[in-house]
Amino acid sequence: MSPKLEFTLLRLWHAALAGGFVVAYVTADEDTYRMHVFAGYWVLGALASRLLLALAGSEAGPLRLRRPSLSFGKPGRNPLFAWMAALLLPALALGAVSGIIADGIPKAEDLHEGLAQAGLWLVIAHAATIAWIFQGRRIREFLSGAALIAAVLAAGPAQAGDPARDAILAAYAKEAGQPFSAARGEALYRSKNTASPDFASCATCHTNDPAARGQHAKTGRVIEPVAVSANPKRFTDAAKVEERFTRDCQTVLGRACSALEKGDYVTFLAAK
Amino acid sequence: MKKFALAFCLAASPALADFAPPITDPVTLKACGECHMAFQPSFLPARSWDKMMANPADHFGDNATMAPDKAAQIRKVLMDGAADTNGGRMGSKVMKRQAAGATPLRITETAWFQRKHDLPERVWKRPGVVTKSNCVACHPAAEKGIYEDD
Ligand code: HEC
Ligand code: HEC
Ligand code: HEC
Repeated sequence: MSPKLEFTLLRLWHAALAGGFVVAYVTADEDTYRMHVFAGYWVLGALASRLLLALAGSEAGPLRLRRPSLSFGKPGRNPLFAWMAALLLPALALGAVSGIIADGIPKAEDLHEGLAQAGLWLVIAHAATIAWIFQGRRIREFLSGAALIAAVLAAGPAQAGDPARDAILAAYAKEAGQPFSAARGEALYRSKNTASPDFASCATCHTNDPAARGQHAKTGRVIEPVAVSANPKRFTDAAKVEERFTRDCQTVLGRACSALEKGDYVTFLAAK
Repeated sequence: MKKFALAFCLAASPALADFAPPITDPVTLKACGECHMAFQPSFLPARSWDKMMANPADHFGDNATMAPDKAAQIRKVLMDGAADTNGGRMGSKVMKRQAAGATPLRITETAWFQRKHDLPERVWKRPGVVTKSNCVACHPAAEKGIYEDD
């Protein structure tokens, strides 16, 4: 066989294998199962044909499967190619064979998924290696450029002050007709109540230290600190403040909070 | 060949298999992402969201009271993206395991979820997990809709 023909065969074979693998991967769902099985057998067939091609190839030609070596730096084909073949061919074969087994024995499904996933990562590493070998410099330039842009973007803008919170407090003050007290606000914050078995106190979710991050006691969600010193955006969205007072007072106290209590609470946390 | 390698990486990206389209409506995202992550609507059928949004004041033992027009808007967003409306591949996986006509209110109680999360008890007890519905504890990119196995 001429080297040119061998290269053409190698390319055709690679396309058949890669195509089969892509189809198998994207059809891995239950609703495209038949196509998945077909693609799996296709991959296995392609792998087997690679062994036949290796036997048919000429002594030093591209179809030969060489034993991987560590002879880097020597002239000739980059030894990484042999390593890739030695890793990829058995890995994909394991994936395909385990698929046939899983088709008969559903228990083997996890094994098959694991092997196929490992195969995918090898394939991605393979593609990255090829890209690196062929155009390493361009990619390195691209990556360092992207890192620079990301660094510039990460240094984003800082936050501003908040007349909105003053307006919210002013509205509560008008309704309460009485000055607010941070001490009363703190007492409310820390008070233990019995209305809810899960949430005895505001501190249950907002934590004993309002400047610390809290955690919703039931959902596990992180709640950003409620103290204004630690979180300047606190109490600046009137609709949100009202909505949350409505809910959280009902949950914890079993009743609505008065305008005075709301003002005390905000005053306490704004000074915190 | 090089182009092919690139196209291949894109086409075979693992995110494809375990993706649930995230909510894009800002009102819903904010309102439903306050006490827990904003769950993707494709994890429940439309009738479940309909039932849930009919009474936000009684929400899994918590109180999610909100203005009625806001609730109506959110209800529509959720029903439009539900497992059996526009839930995509994730939606069809969920529906496939769903008993016909059932109206689960919890994602964590759907047959699909339970099948995919047959995990040992100690995994659920890991610090930071707190509850099964705390998807982010185990799927760090859950809010972006990405649930790769790990
Ligand atoms: C079940 C957990 C929980 C409890 C208990 C709780 N909260 Fe909250 N609270 C939240 C969550 C979740 C938010 C919204 C998330 C955020 O703003 O970071 C919030 C936000 C608020 C806000 C809005 C803050 C802002 O920036 O606008 C106020 C006001 C508030 N809570 C008051 C209270 C009061 C008063 C109590 C006690 C009577 C209380 N909360 C108890 C969970 C809780
Ligand atoms: C006031 C806080 C709060 C708000 C706001 C809220 N939720 Fe919840 N949600 C909870 C709590 C608490 C649970 C129970 C968590 C648990 O037990 O694991 C819950 C549970 C859920 C569950 C079930 C999770 C599971 O176990 O599968 C869904 C679905 C859900 N919420 C959807 C929503 C939607 C949609 C919205 C927006 C309208 C919303 N939630 C707004 C507090 C809230
Ligand atoms: C305690 C950790 C944990 C929590 C909490 C959790 N998951 Fe998972 N999830 C896993 C693990 C582990 C897997 C992989 C299981 C497998 O593939 O066999 C998984 C798999 C998945 C998958 C991929 C299924 C597939 O098709 O391969 C999805 C989607 C998913 N979880 C969604 C969720 C959602 C939504 C929530 C929250 C309502 C959630 N998970 C909460 C651990 C968790």
